[in-house]
Amino acid sequence: MTAPLAWQHPFARVEDVAALFDAHDYVADRPLCLTTKLAFDLGKPILLEGEAGVGKTEVAKVLASALDTPLIRLQCYEGLDASAALYEWNYARQILHIRLAEADAARRTELDTAIFGPAFLFERPLLKAIRHTGPRPAVLLIDEIDRADEEFEAFLLEILSDYQITVPELGTFSAVQRPCVILTSNRTRELNDALKRRCLYLWIDYPHPDKEREIIMKRVPGMPRDLADGVTRVMQGLRAVDFYKRPGVAEALDWARALLGLEIGQIVPDVVLETAGVVLKYRDDITRLSKLDLDALLQGRAVDL
Amino acid sequence: MTAPTHLIDQTLTLCRAARAAGLPVSQARAIDVFRALALIDYAHPDDYRLALRTNLAASRADEILFDRLFATHFGAAVADYGGDHIMAHSELLHGRLDAGRANEAHRDMVTESETFGAEDVARRANLAARWDPDAPPLAQVIRELARQLASRPSRRTQPARHGTRIDLRRSVRRSVRHGLDLVELARIKRKTRKTRIVMLCDVSGSMDAFNSFLLQLMFGLQQALKASRTLVFSTQVSEITQCLRRRSVDETLREVSDKVRHWSGGTDIGAALGELNRGVLREGSSRSTVLIVISDGYDNGQPSHIVQELAMAKRQIRSLVWINPMYGASTFTVRAAGMRAALPYVDHFLPAFNGRALHALVKGLARLG
Repeated sequence: MTAPLAWQHPFARVEDVAALFDAHDYVADRPLCLTTKLAFDLGKPILLEGEAGVGKTEVAKVLASALDTPLIRLQCYEGLDASAALYEWNYARQILHIRLAEADAARRTELDTAIFGPAFLFERPLLKAIRHTGPRPAVLLIDEIDRADEEFEAFLLEILSDYQITVPELGTFSAVQRPCVILTSNRTRELNDALKRRCLYLWIDYPHPDKEREIIMKRVPGMPRDLADGVTRVMQGLRAVDFYKRPGVAEALDWARALLGLEIGQIVPDVVLETAGVVLKYRDDITRLSKLDLDALLQGRAVDL
Repeated sequence: MTAPTHLIDQTLTLCRAARAAGLPVSQARAIDVFRALALIDYAHPDDYRLALRTNLAASRADEILFDRLFATHFGAAVADYGGDHIMAHSELLHGRLDAGRANEAHRDMVTESETFGAEDVARRANLAARWDPDAPPLAQVIRELARQLASRPSRRTQPARHGTRIDLRRSVRRSVRHGLDLVELARIKRKTRKTRIVMLCDVSGSMDAFNSFLLQLMFGLQQALKASRTLVFSTQVSEITQCLRRRSVDETLREVSDKVRHWSGGTDIGAALGELNRGVLREGSSRSTVLIVISDGYDNGQPSHIVQELAMAKRQIRSLVWINPMYGASTFTVRAAGMRAALPYVDHFLPAFNGRALHALVKGLARLG
C-alpha cells in the first residue's frame, strides 16, 4: 500500500480544529482555530505573536501530536546562520574519507563526488522539514524569530514561499509534503514586512478569566475547582498591575502546580508572598507585590499603588 | 463554493477601508482574503471577521484597528472574546494622559494647548519651521559617535586571512583544487557590528529652543546607524524610527509632525523610561544597547520614579549617555530635580546645545558604550 501523495487535512470545519485542540488539552479560542484551518487550506505559515508564556509554542507541539507527525523545531538566536538552520557538511568524516582514499589511487578519482554526497550531509531543521516525506506533513516550529537577526528573516523568505532548498553540490530539494509552519515572536522587535506578508497573523492575548480557569483545570490534573478559581483571580489581578514582567499562563500553571504540590487548600496573603518567585521573576516586581493590598487581590478587586 | 455578490462587494469595501486606514493590504493579501472566504462558513458572524483579520493584519495594532473598522462598518459592537479587556486595561494603564499637564517648570514655555483628543490636530507642531537648514552640519559629530559605537563582536563570521578560527567548509572545498590535500586552511573571524542605540529624546515645551539641534541629531544618527531606534517623549512616548528612515528631511518632518501629537507638551521622564523598560529594552540582545537620553531633566513627575526606572534600565543596557542641551546654554548648576536624581546613573554626561560643543565632548571620550 502506498501513501497518497496529496494529503487531505482533517479540518473541514472550524469546529474540527477546536475538537482536536480540545482532545489534546489545549484550550483554543475561535480566532486560533480559524487561523489554523486557513493555514492548512491556504498553505500559509502562521505567525503567532504575544507576550511570553501565553502558549504560542504549545500550539505547534499540540498540532504535531494531534496530527501524529514529527515536530521539527528551529530555535532562533542571534547569529543563527544557514549552517545551523539548513545543512552542514560532516567535515570530520570528509577529511577522514580523504585520508583513507589517499592510500588508494583508484578511489581518488571518484572522491570529489563521494565526499559531497548525501552520506556526508547533516540535515538541520529547515532541510529536515522540507525532506520529510510524510504521509502527513511535518510541523515546523520556528521559535522566537525575533531573536534571530534580520538577515535570517530575509533568508527565510525564499524557503517559506517556494518550500525548496538548494544545496549546490547535490541539487534542489523541493518539499514532498509542504510542512505546516508556525512562527512565533515575542514582539521584542518588529519583523520584516515581507515576512509578515507571507503569513497569517494572530495575536495571542492573556486569557479571559473563564478561559484561564479552564486551562488550569485541564493542564493540572487533580486541581480542585475553588483553588483554580483562586489562582485565576490572583493572576488576573496581577496582570492589571504595572509589573516589568507580567505573569503569563505558563506562570499560572507553575503556580497552580506549586500550590497543589505544597498541599495548600486556600490561598491567603502569606502564601502569595512565599510563593511569589514562581510567578514574578524580577526583584522589583516582588517588592512591589509585597506593597499591594493582597486581601483585595485575593477577592478579585482591582489593586494598584 | 462561490461567495454571493453582495459579500464580495462588502469584502472589497472592507479591504479598501482597511488600506485607507493604513493596513498593509497588498493585492496578494486581498486575493488571499477571497481564497479564505471560500473555505469558511461566512454565515458565522465571527468567522468572517476573523478570516479577514488574520489575512490583513500584520501586528497587534493592526488587529485592533481592523476590529474597530469592522465594527464601524457594520454599526455594531465587536463580539468580546477572551483577553481583549486585559489589553484595553493595560492600554489605559500605560497612557498616563494627564501626567505633566501641571508642570511648574514648563508653564511659561509651553505655548500650545495641552488638551488631547479632538484638539490634537490643532496641536500638530509645525516642525518644518523648527528645522534650520543653515545650521552647521552635524555630520562630523555623528561620524565620530558612529565610529565609537561600532565595535561590538557579532555572532556571525566572515572569511579572513588571519582569522582566529578555521573554516572547515571552505577548507574542504579548497582542498579539491589540490587534489583533495588539505594544503591551505581557510580561516574566519567574527564580524564586528554596530552597537544598538536607543535614543530617547525629550520634546517637551522646555526643549523647544533646541528643536533644530534635536531634529538634526535624531535624523543624522538614524541615517548613520540603521539599526538604532529613536523615540520621543513628553507625556507620552512615540517611536519615530520609521519616519526618520525617509530619505528627505521634508518628508521626515511631515511624518513626525503627523505622528507625534504631544510635541511641546509636559514631561514625564519616569513614565517614558518605564515604557522603554517594558518595551524596546526588553529585546534579546539588549545588554549591548547604549541608551542615549536627550533631555534637560525638567520633569513634573516624582524624582523617585525616575530613579526606580533608571535603576531598572541600567540593568538592561550597557551604558547610558545623557545629552543635556540646557547646560551648555547657560551657566546654571544642576537645578532640575529630575536631572539631579538621574546623574548617579549616567555614564557619560554631555552638556551640549549644538553640534560643535557636542563634537568637542565626544572627541574627548576614549570610547562610548
